[in-house]
Amino acid sequence: MNAVQIIYALLAVVTLACAYGVVVAPKLMHSALWLGATFVGMAALYVLLDADFLAAAQILIYVGAITTMILFGIMLSDIRDLRAPGEGPWWRRFARLVLSPRRGLLPLLAALGFAVVLWGIAWQAPWPASAPPATSDVTSSIGRVLFTEYALPFELASVLLLVALVGAVVLAMREGVDNR
Amino acid sequence: MIPLSWVVATSAILFGLGLYGALSLRNAVRILMCIELMLNSVNLNLVAFSRYLHPDQPRGLVLAIFIMTVAAAEAAVGLAIFLTIARNRTDIDVDKIQLLKG
Repeated sequence: MNAVQIIYALLAVVTLACAYGVVVAPKLMHSALWLGATFVGMAALYVLLDADFLAAAQILIYVGAITTMILFGIMLSDIRDLRAPGEGPWWRRFARLVLSPRRGLLPLLAALGFAVVLWGIAWQAPWPASAPPATSDVTSSIGRVLFTEYALPFELASVLLLVALVGAVVLAMREGVDNR
Repeated sequence: MIPLSWVVATSAILFGLGLYGALSLRNAVRILMCIELMLNSVNLNLVAFSRYLHPDQPRGLVLAIFIMTVAAAEAAVGLAIFLTIARNRTDIDVDKIQLLKG
């Protein structure tokens, strides 16, 4: 193991721990903060994979926009968090959670089965042994591909964002505000 | 260089966590966050394959950028819908939102 692999392993463990925090955090606010930490960790993984532009976009879009939007959505509304009934020692609560089929056992089995299948594929498949040398200018080639080959999807994405913006404003607008 | 199987294994765990959360949690905002986790794990896979298989043609990176765009739009519209629901009722339990059930 060289230094890059050790750094990758550490970052991956931290990122997965933050993602675990998203799922199990008892408060909704803490869950959203763990989500932001997960996004930062993903950006670091992108840097290790030589995708600098993706890392910057990840920080800007996910951490700067989506996490902030979720935090503001939680804080500015009266969304109340659903608390699980917290009586009994932790192992009894855990057993009750796991043994309830719809909310515990079946999702656990589905997620575990999916992850195990993907792990089997990950270790068995004949991946290329080593990466080809990095091209120096990934960002400019992204721009070139984006504006030549993917010009139509790029323009459609702008239309999609506009429609989502207008739709979100219309949905979140209170009734009667537009009557004034 | 990092072995490609490590990256695929990382994103498999991340997707499994997101899938478990999306299926088991009841709060709609938490489900939205878990969906974002799953989209992120897919993005990690796309970035890794683009780096290892075709580093000179960053098509995987372009696809990841489009996924980010759609994820942002989805989060915005989803949160707006949750705000509208939360105005009429206090919680956003996905088990109790059954307006279209008939």
